[in-house]
Amino acid sequence: MVSAATQSSSRRRSGNGGDLIVLGIESTAHTFGVGIVSSREPYILADARRQYKPKSGGILPREVAAFFSSVAGEVLEEALAQAGLTVRDVDGIAVALGPGMGPALRVGATVARALASRYRKPLVPVNHAVAHIEVARFVTGLRDPVAVYVAGGNTSILSYSEGRYRVFGETLDIALGNLLDTFAREVGIAPPYVSGGKHAVDKCAEGGDYIDGLPYVVKGQDVSYSGLLTAALRMARSGARLSDVCYTLREVAFSSIVEVGERCMAHTGRDSVVLTGGVAANKVLASKVALMAESRGARHGTVPPRLAGDNGVMIALTGALALAHGITIGVEEAVIRQRWRVDRVDVPWYPETLKDLSSG
Amino acid sequence: MVSRNPEGLVEWVRSLPLASRGAESEIRVGAWMGIDAVFKLRIPKAYMHPRLDYVLRMSRTRREAKLLAKAHSLGARVPLLLGVFPSIGLIIMERIRGKVLRDAIREGSYRAEDLRMAGEVLGRLHDGWIAHGDPTTSNYIVSGERVYLIDFGLADKATSVEDLAVDIHLFRRSVESTHAVQARDILEHFLDGYLEAAPGLGERVIERAEEIRLRGRYVEERRRTVWAG
Ligand SMILES: Nc1ncnc2c1ncn2[C@@H]1O[C@H](COP(=O)(O)OP(=O)(O)OP(=O)(O)O)[C@@H](O)[C@H]1O
Ligand SMILES: Nc1ncnc2c1ncn2[C@@H]1O[C@H](COP(=O)(O)OP(=O)(O)OP(=O)(O)O)[C@@H](O)[C@H]1O
Ligand SMILES: [Mg+2]
Ligand SMILES: [Mg+2]
Repeated sequence: MVSAATQSSSRRRSGNGGDLIVLGIESTAHTFGVGIVSSREPYILADARRQYKPKSGGILPREVAAFFSSVAGEVLEEALAQAGLTVRDVDGIAVALGPGMGPALRVGATVARALASRYRKPLVPVNHAVAHIEVARFVTGLRDPVAVYVAGGNTSILSYSEGRYRVFGETLDIALGNLLDTFAREVGIAPPYVSGGKHAVDKCAEGGDYIDGLPYVVKGQDVSYSGLLTAALRMARSGARLSDVCYTLREVAFSSIVEVGERCMAHTGRDSVVLTGGVAANKVLASKVALMAESRGARHGTVPPRLAGDNGVMIALTGALALAHGITIGVEEAVIRQRWRVDRVDVPWYPETLKDLSSG
Repeated sequence: MVSRNPEGLVEWVRSLPLASRGAESEIRVGAWMGIDAVFKLRIPKAYMHPRLDYVLRMSRTRREAKLLAKAHSLGARVPLLLGVFPSIGLIIMERIRGKVLRDAIREGSYRAEDLRMAGEVLGRLHDGWIAHGDPTTSNYIVSGERVYLIDFGLADKATSVEDLAVDIHLFRRSVESTHAVQARDILEHFLDGYLEAAPGLGERVIERAEEIRLRGRYVEERRRTVWAG
């Protein structure tokens, strides 16, 4: 373990006149993204990405990996062009090593290792969930929040304590994004799951009303969505108005995650909350979080849609924080970690954000 | 004087001094039939649809009263139920003077025995097939030599070992997130007391809790179940 003293003395000086420039690679699920950030304004220098879109229903990890391999080169070129830089100009290469799907993760790790060894750049390991929180702290300016992280593969309530982000609550079964996507697919209103910034369930819920009968399951600070999914599907198939079912499904699912977020705030005494992850793009959910916070006299913020879903910027930004604190790994150590828990990652930079990294 | 009309009662309760605020309720203190009492009033949530909000507040209030009484009859250390008014989300119960276990741990003023007793209360409940639903360190009160379990709003009759195991899972996770440094020690004493109060069954519940924990961990599996479908 490195002591706090060593960490700050090993704070990296960059070759860019006091700025730290980091390139980040995301490839944990459906998005291959490359982002480049600087510790000085405008902070975000590049944000390039390609998303794998399943044609019918679900996706196969191997197909995703093949797609990623085919677009990796052009996404990298695009990011460098946006920033007007070459790989030589960056101070480090950050990569999301997990958690995620093995074959997909391997593509990102391979590209990162190649760049790091070819250009002799430090390699920085980044945890995908930590990155969702870091981008939220960065864009909202709320430095010590409760984080409501809602996406396709993850749904959890996180907050910092004793050197790490701790899980205060999570789904006991499926994730919120999964719930919405699966319901939409099963009743035939998706894919596409999201278009024009709205989820298929939102569009379907227009004109719908609240109806009794769907299970609201909160256990302590956890939620459970699988019973809700089954019941909603049953209701839809037994002839209830689909708009009512969509409206109620959304109302129950969103209210319960906001409620456990509120519990975490009460429990930890935090006075701010941020909403992050792909489902944070949902306006109805964001307004519920805002109402919850306001009723407690707490501050709140939501990551804008562009940065809420998986992207390379959040990996670069987290990588910059880690690099500034001397967290790097050798190329041979850069192996993927499919099941990398967020609470296994030290975050010695907390509560610093990217904006604190430039000396002057 | 207290009127029997629920709306009048809410008004009177809200005039009592506020002792603390939970995630879902205001806790006020005062005398009720001469007893030192706590008035737990569930507050409407602005972010919920009014119908959902009302149904939840009413059913949790009703459930809390019912299971508090049941827990008491099982010999578990819980506050005595003094009254319930579901339509306004109000429960009246004995006031336990002391310190929330979470704070005792934070201040370093807890004893191993406190944790053992905390485990024991939960063990008693489980032995009577009741799941608490929210067994965190902020839902225990250390009062002198005794430890009480409060906040039964999410409690329910258990029909499977899994239902009970969720409690153990929740307690463990709350300890690991809230008291990361002392977690191991806390859990050890807690589970000692728990197993003592729920011999036999307790072991099965703890085993099952470990399975739940692993399920939650493996994010990748959760994603695949649906995406590859
Ligand atoms: N406007 C929206 N409303 C609701 N859900 C949305 C919206 N936009 C995107 N989503 C959902 O977000 C999810 C995708 O999230 P994200 O891009 O973070 O990827 P992920 O791989 O699921 O993330 P993670 O690995 O962090 O769990 C999908 O389930 C998608 O339906
Ligand atoms: N019977 C009681 N005697 C003394 N104090 C109490 C009693 N009941 C509750 N309290 C105090 O009020 C606080 C909140 O109570 P309780 O946990 O029941 O409310 P809640 O809104 O359900 O909270 P949460 O769901 O966030 O745990 C407790 O942590 C405790 O400090
Ligand atoms: Mg409580
Ligand atoms: Mg409660």
